[in-house]
Amino acid sequence: MDTGIRARGLTKRYGHRVAVDDLSFTVRPGLVTGFLGPNGAGKSTTMRMLLGLTRPTRGTITIGGRHITDLDDPAHTVGALLDARAVHPLRTASDHLLAYAQTAGLGRARVAEVLELVGLADAAGRRADEFSLGMHQRLGIATALLGDPGVLVLDEPLNGLDPEGIRWMRTLMRDLAGEGRTILFSSHLMSEMELTADNLIVVGHGRLLAESTLAEFVRANTTQAVTVRTEQPDLLSHALHRAGVPFERAPDASLLVTGTESGTVGRIAAAEGIPLDELTRVRESLEDVFLRFTHDDTDYEGRAA
Amino acid sequence: MRILRSEWTKLRSVRSIWITILSTVAAGTALSALGVSDLLGGSPADLPDPWDPTATSLKGFLFAQLLIGMLGALSITPEYATGMIGTSLSHVPARSRLLAAKATVITAIALVTSLVTALLSFTVVQALFAGADLPSAGLTDPGVPRALTSATLYLTLIALIGVAVGTLTRSTTGSLAVLVGGLLLVPAIAPGLPGGLGDWFGDYWPNTAGQAAYAVIRTEGMIAPGTGLAVLTLTALCIAAASHLAFRVRDI
Repeated sequence: MDTGIRARGLTKRYGHRVAVDDLSFTVRPGLVTGFLGPNGAGKSTTMRMLLGLTRPTRGTITIGGRHITDLDDPAHTVGALLDARAVHPLRTASDHLLAYAQTAGLGRARVAEVLELVGLADAAGRRADEFSLGMHQRLGIATALLGDPGVLVLDEPLNGLDPEGIRWMRTLMRDLAGEGRTILFSSHLMSEMELTADNLIVVGHGRLLAESTLAEFVRANTTQAVTVRTEQPDLLSHALHRAGVPFERAPDASLLVTGTESGTVGRIAAAEGIPLDELTRVRESLEDVFLRFTHDDTDYEGRAA
Repeated sequence: MRILRSEWTKLRSVRSIWITILSTVAAGTALSALGVSDLLGGSPADLPDPWDPTATSLKGFLFAQLLIGMLGALSITPEYATGMIGTSLSHVPARSRLLAAKATVITAIALVTSLVTALLSFTVVQALFAGADLPSAGLTDPGVPRALTSATLYLTLIALIGVAVGTLTRSTTGSLAVLVGGLLLVPAIAPGLPGGLGDWFGDYWPNTAGQAAYAVIRTEGMIAPGTGLAVLTLTALCIAAASHLAFRVRDI
């Protein structure tokens, strides 16, 4: 079955406030798709509409062309992690999982499998109120994986994980996508997308800001820059000026050349016989790109006191 | 069947459900015994006339109904408190089926709990009456099996109303407020209203009417047991239908 996710004209209004505004995008199987946007951009609302928890004001969001309530076997088709804290505090991890395994016609054997998979086998008999946030995230992932679904929808899955947990979650998402599954995961942190996502859906104020591969997004939104350090900055400045290459002089006497490849800068210096101490290509960090990109769309911006 | 099994797992794996069940039985029986303590010292001549030892033995239902109503509410309100309802509905997107499974499992648990509460209250109080040389009733006396069956259905219907109230309020404390108001306060206060209105509340307020269903001796002006059970059943069905509608259309 086709397990792509497709949103068309998806809109959700709460009174006068528009949470999701005419959103259209496609999430393809076999790839990790990052759903990126500042807090309040409408990511969770979109995921809740996908899962049938919230009714769109207009538009549709479907899995393989069908609304979730029209799926033949939803528990085996879609797995979701919406809120890792959504566990009864007095229920054990294994009973929590068993209740959801049973909706998919599965039993304790499958519960043991997913507990093993997420590294919670030792905590199976413990109550959720003894869990750390990281353990809750792992339990949430285990719940999502119970029915071995082809589509995974994960809202902020990296939240609250320690560095080791983040690496584990990334590897897991990549592996699951490698098996041909559709993975949609949200985050408000670009840095979390860098090593995980193949594709990006960027939203702000409920509107689609970009839909592309991660690489394309970076290429389209970053500027090339090269740092050059030499003992003869004045000579190099003249040379660059003659070559028509734009640059800035940094306070530490190095030069920041923009819009030109490092090789070009090196050749200009070589032609003039200027020895270089450093020639580094600097990439604007994705965090910077994202912040600039969504700046106008940030709802709750911190203000300096 | 899968969803029923899942809902049963959810209920049985949390201790508060078992505490509520045991409290219903224990508090129901204890309060039934306590409720007749002032009669035990007297002579048969002091007993109310007409004397219905069966209905009199179920006074603890006044409190047991609140507990079993909360049992019903607790089948869904914690899911709203924790956010689990989102997980549940992403596994079972068909909302009607999820709610029906909850109602079915609660009905089954409530039937057993109610039957035990009714039988235990009846047996303990009849033994107290017999010990105090007061006229008592036996399980097989005319009208008694019907009354105890109605009493069982009475508590079960209240549990079902609890599921509906929990679904509508989406809150444990909200459910408690509604149940205390509807089951205890209104029947205690509203019959004091002037004229026909007070009379109507005294006869036809759903749980007051339902209590008429487990009377063996019908006193002057009391509504028929069948009518009483019908009023309560109809009320439960209406609230259940309203909660079903709300559950289907509301955003989670």
